[in-house]
Amino acid sequence: MKVVIVDYGMGNIRSIVSTLNYLNVHDVTVSDSLQAFESADRIILPGVGNFGKAISQIRAKKLDDYLQTVVIDQKKPLLGICLGMQLLGLSSSEHGYNTGLAYVNGVVTKFENNAVKVPHVGFNQIKVNTNSKLFEGITDGADFYFTHSYRMHSEDDINQSLCNYQDDFVAGFEVDNICGVQFHPELSQFNGLRLLKNFIDNF
Amino acid sequence: MLRKRIIFALIYSDGNFMQSRNFRLQKVGNLHWLEKNYKFQNIAFALDELIVLNASKGEKNMPEFASTVSKLVNDVFIPISAGGGIRKMEDADLLFKSGADKIVLNSLLVENPDMVKEIIKNYGSQSVVACIDCKLRDDNYEIFIKDGSLKIDYELKEYVAYLELLGVGEIYLNSIDKDGTGFGYDQSLIETVNRITSLPLIIAGGAGNESHLAHGLKIENVSAVATANLFNFIGNGLPNARNLIIASNENIANWNVSNYNG
Repeated sequence: MKVVIVDYGMGNIRSIVSTLNYLNVHDVTVSDSLQAFESADRIILPGVGNFGKAISQIRAKKLDDYLQTVVIDQKKPLLGICLGMQLLGLSSSEHGYNTGLAYVNGVVTKFENNAVKVPHVGFNQIKVNTNSKLFEGITDGADFYFTHSYRMHSEDDINQSLCNYQDDFVAGFEVDNICGVQFHPELSQFNGLRLLKNFIDNF
Repeated sequence: MLRKRIIFALIYSDGNFMQSRNFRLQKVGNLHWLEKNYKFQNIAFALDELIVLNASKGEKNMPEFASTVSKLVNDVFIPISAGGGIRKMEDADLLFKSGADKIVLNSLLVENPDMVKEIIKNYGSQSVVACIDCKLRDDNYEIFIKDGSLKIDYELKEYVAYLELLGVGEIYLNSIDKDGTGFGYDQSLIETVNRITSLPLIIAGGAGNESHLAHGLKIENVSAVATANLFNFIGNGLPNARNLIIASNENIANWNVSNYNG
């Protein structure tokens, strides 16, 4: 089992690697090369920070083309985490309008400051989609760790699990080989370990 | 429902972990000692977050601190914040690279707001925690930077507004008077800030037992309770406290171990 974490210079990669190691996945590479992506069994798109900056770095490094090849053409399983999930959507309004990789119909907007405390930080419960391989065995109402100011909504059925904060937003989705989670499984104790194990075992 | 959080703050100084009382530090042990006596990975399963603060006096050795952070991260599946002595972008970069999910800023907030904005631009608001160290004098809360050694001229309310404008993601509100005493949190300090901020608020300073933590969690709009009291929460102290708090139906996360079977 070889996992490649997409390196575009943003994201706390260390805790993802250490969590995968704990799950006995030791062949973990952080890379921005097509060759590495093509050798991978699983690909993880991490991300912390600003959407606009992230997508421009991804495009500058031609990672959008590489991901198109391995994820869309070759159907390798992909998991986007936090900002990495948002980047798989259509667009984000973070610091101006930016388009994403557009693998799923998802639109990212900011929480409204007068409605709830922003950022949304801490463990929150998930309405688990039982039709999802990614969430297999995870009980409804399970807690996962979130830290973000922007969130995704989708008008399509992208097989989503939802979280409620101000309103229901996409906490996780799964369309064929492409998955994303808004929360950090690597920072979510047993629940996160199970989710990452599902990504390794079920796809 | 968004849960409230229990946070442990490890106070670090020149290679050792410390018990702090009113910001005077007493050495407890090094990383090896911590692992041996606290089985830290086990304790971490009773925590929502870990904060590591470098309180070394004078010039702080950032690479050495970052290396300690990187060792703490292993097999600990919760967010880790690190801070103390961050003065430039490279310091922040190094801590994030070493496994910190957030950084904690204090003196820099006053001394170099442009640098704070630059860090927020690169890592996002949610990655920056602003620490406010307060001391009550003549019915007035004074704010200190530089590990409690330098008083600044801001009024507390004015300072909170300033931090919100800077764009920080959370406030870590610490009482120097209550620090390490185990007498309970500074209620009036918390209320003063709680009324005026819309940021997630972490309260610190004074918790000595689980009833202090439980009491803090009951305060409306408080997002998290923190303790740095190594002595009072030794051994099974934290796991027991969490179990008691869960049993009393407090709104904190409950990780279902059966969801993960190795």
